[in-house]
Amino acid sequence: MRRTPPRPSARAQSRARGSLRGSPHLRLRFGFLVIAMVLSVFGARLVQLQGVDPHAYAAMAAAEGTDIVELPAERGDILDRNGKPLADSVDGAMVVANPELTREKAPELAKFLAGRLDVDYFETLKALRLKDKQFAYIARRVPASKAEAVVTAAEEAGFDGLDTRHDPVRDYPAGDVAANLVGFMGTDEALAGFERNFNGLLAGHDGSERYAVGVGNRIPLGQATIEPAVDGQDLHTTIDLDLQWYVQRVLRQTREDARADSAFAVVLDTQTGEVLALADDPTYDARDPRSAKAKGDLVSRAMTDVYEPGSVEKVLTLSALIDAGKATNKTRVVVPSSLVSGDRVIHDWFSHDTLYMTLAGVIAQSSNIGTVLASRNFETGQLREYLTRFGLGQKTNVGIAGETQGILPDPSIWTSMTQDRIAFGQSLSVNAMQMAAAVNTIANGGVRVSPSLIRGAAVTDEGLEVGTDTATTERVVSKRAAHQMTLMMERVVDPDVGVAPSAQIPGYRVAGKTGTAQRVGPACGCYNNTFTVSFAGFAPADEPRFTVYVVVQNPRNGGGGGSVGGPAFAKIMSYALSRYGVPPTGSAPSRLPTTWRPGQVASR
Amino acid sequence: MSSPAFQIRSGRIRAAGAPGRVSGLAGAALHRARLTVVPRTRTRTSHLPFVTLVSFVLLSGVVGLLMFNTSMQQAAFTATTMEQQAATLNAREQTLRMELDALRDPQRVALKAQRMGMVIPATPAFLRLTDGEVLGTPAAATRENSLRLLPRAPQKPAVLDPAPNVVTVIGEPADPGAGDAQRHRGRDRNKQQQEPRSDGNR
Repeated sequence: MRRTPPRPSARAQSRARGSLRGSPHLRLRFGFLVIAMVLSVFGARLVQLQGVDPHAYAAMAAAEGTDIVELPAERGDILDRNGKPLADSVDGAMVVANPELTREKAPELAKFLAGRLDVDYFETLKALRLKDKQFAYIARRVPASKAEAVVTAAEEAGFDGLDTRHDPVRDYPAGDVAANLVGFMGTDEALAGFERNFNGLLAGHDGSERYAVGVGNRIPLGQATIEPAVDGQDLHTTIDLDLQWYVQRVLRQTREDARADSAFAVVLDTQTGEVLALADDPTYDARDPRSAKAKGDLVSRAMTDVYEPGSVEKVLTLSALIDAGKATNKTRVVVPSSLVSGDRVIHDWFSHDTLYMTLAGVIAQSSNIGTVLASRNFETGQLREYLTRFGLGQKTNVGIAGETQGILPDPSIWTSMTQDRIAFGQSLSVNAMQMAAAVNTIANGGVRVSPSLIRGAAVTDEGLEVGTDTATTERVVSKRAAHQMTLMMERVVDPDVGVAPSAQIPGYRVAGKTGTAQRVGPACGCYNNTFTVSFAGFAPADEPRFTVYVVVQNPRNGGGGGSVGGPAFAKIMSYALSRYGVPPTGSAPSRLPTTWRPGQVASR
Repeated sequence: MSSPAFQIRSGRIRAAGAPGRVSGLAGAALHRARLTVVPRTRTRTSHLPFVTLVSFVLLSGVVGLLMFNTSMQQAAFTATTMEQQAATLNAREQTLRMELDALRDPQRVALKAQRMGMVIPATPAFLRLTDGEVLGTPAAATRENSLRLLPRAPQKPAVLDPAPNVVTVIGEPADPGAGDAQRHRGRDRNKQQQEPRSDGNR
């Protein structure tokens, strides 16, 4: 341009153009400025995005194209010893409605739903007509297939606004069987029993899945991460569902017939210490915990009730005495009509003149005086040591929360008067499991097996490991002492010399002991003239398979351990023996002498 | 490279057979024998096959990709449907299992059995198959030792639970003439006795 010779016309033209467009330098600078401004805006935005809060934006970006689905963990089942479910989880759903869509046809839809789901017409109608809401529960914990079917049917019938959401169902197929042990679930949390005590084990961990979505659809080969759900573990109990059911029915009949407050029973496998049944009555339906009449019905009374065991305890006292070498089952005792112990007088349950009993007779007739006289041969502290080894005063730790420890008086308050009363089962408190395990010690030849309710091993939420794997054995009394005690206990169910012929099972050798203890009332803390009657025993006596312990609290028909507990024991034991196919051993029953005549020569 | 050789060769030929030195016949022969450069025949191959091939490859690639994509989508749909079906079947199985558990609930089974007249035996007894010996003391299971499966109904107040109206009938010597009337009266009395009892339900 510059080379072209300047022409006046052209110069004038260029000047005119220059005046229009300004100088190039100015233009450049202006352009740079604009670019710099735009770039600095970009820069500032970059700093804002990356410098100020990069993670939130990254998350937002990721969320834009991804979908997260929660993968719920399935709650573990609670099973009986044969794998039958006491509690199981079923894939369930809740049926929800959008009242804005359902309001118009609410009455028709409510009728439709009330007919198909187990819901109340009026409540459903109210829910379907909720104002200013887009969400209302119609039914919760419906089996998934049923919920889907109902919603599909509703759509086909022309009703809009229903939907289902995941909502697992916890089912207790056996209803009230073992309900006191299994417990129950609330809406979202475990509320009682094993459900609560082993919640960590049963619940598992929810997982999640996130995957890329485009226009509402999952992108087939898009990015996907899965954190799999860890399902809860099953809890295997040692309970036998059918036996448990039978025991509960027997207990209910016993309690109703005796017009008693409550009743509970324990069935132990003699050798393994496995609890085959741990029943309570009154109980409740685990499918409907609100059906419980009293709050105490929700817990296992066998584990939480403290009571004085009464005469069943004589089994422990006298077998300890034999083990200590202070007596045999033929030791002769002169039983006066009453016995002074400190400032009190001990009586027997029946009034009598001076009796001449052997130790077997003392057990068979359940003589307090005879027991006290014999137990006065113990060295100081010896009886308490034995009772501790029998497991009294310590938790059995079978895996039930709220188990009572029982009360075994401290050596500092253990006087000779206390010992006299403890010898026949008063002035100390136990729970049913402790007592059953203690009597089972005799059945098991003097070796105490710690009872267990869980098969294998499981850890409670408190971190306590329980189960058959952690069961321990400890010799408490010698085999000889246990054998002698068994022969003595056989005399209890003898129709001629014993107090509990109704506990006898024809054809079998049964060893047992009755208990009728005074009860301490909650109001005054003193004996309130009500009783705890019980019966503990095992069979077959010469080869024990099961130990059964039945306790009935406050019977109002005037019955004792023999007449109330005995028949219940016989029924439960008969059922267990026939269910597990235990035939009679066929050996000759015990013929131990229970009395002696003064002047007769001891035949030892 | 071929062109200089060609030049040399043609030069030599030219040198050997200079025009004018040979006869006419020979000249003709020579002329016939003289090699001339034939213009190379350039066969112009058609572009069509190549274009067809390329477009076929392209097209098939696109179509293949499309089909692959479609089949992937289809597979994804199938997978989703089948997953749903699996979930539904799983839920159905669980529901059925729940129903099964409800059906074999010992209480339900026992109630049914008792309604059919069955009784849980009071004393266990065994029959040994090898020698046919009976172990234990067998005893008949009677209605008396049946187990009460349902809780006892709550006691009704006295107003709702009156004592049964018992009418003692003293037997009269049979009179052949009044036999019919007697029987009729007896039946009425029976009805009277039964009614309060069925109300009582104890």
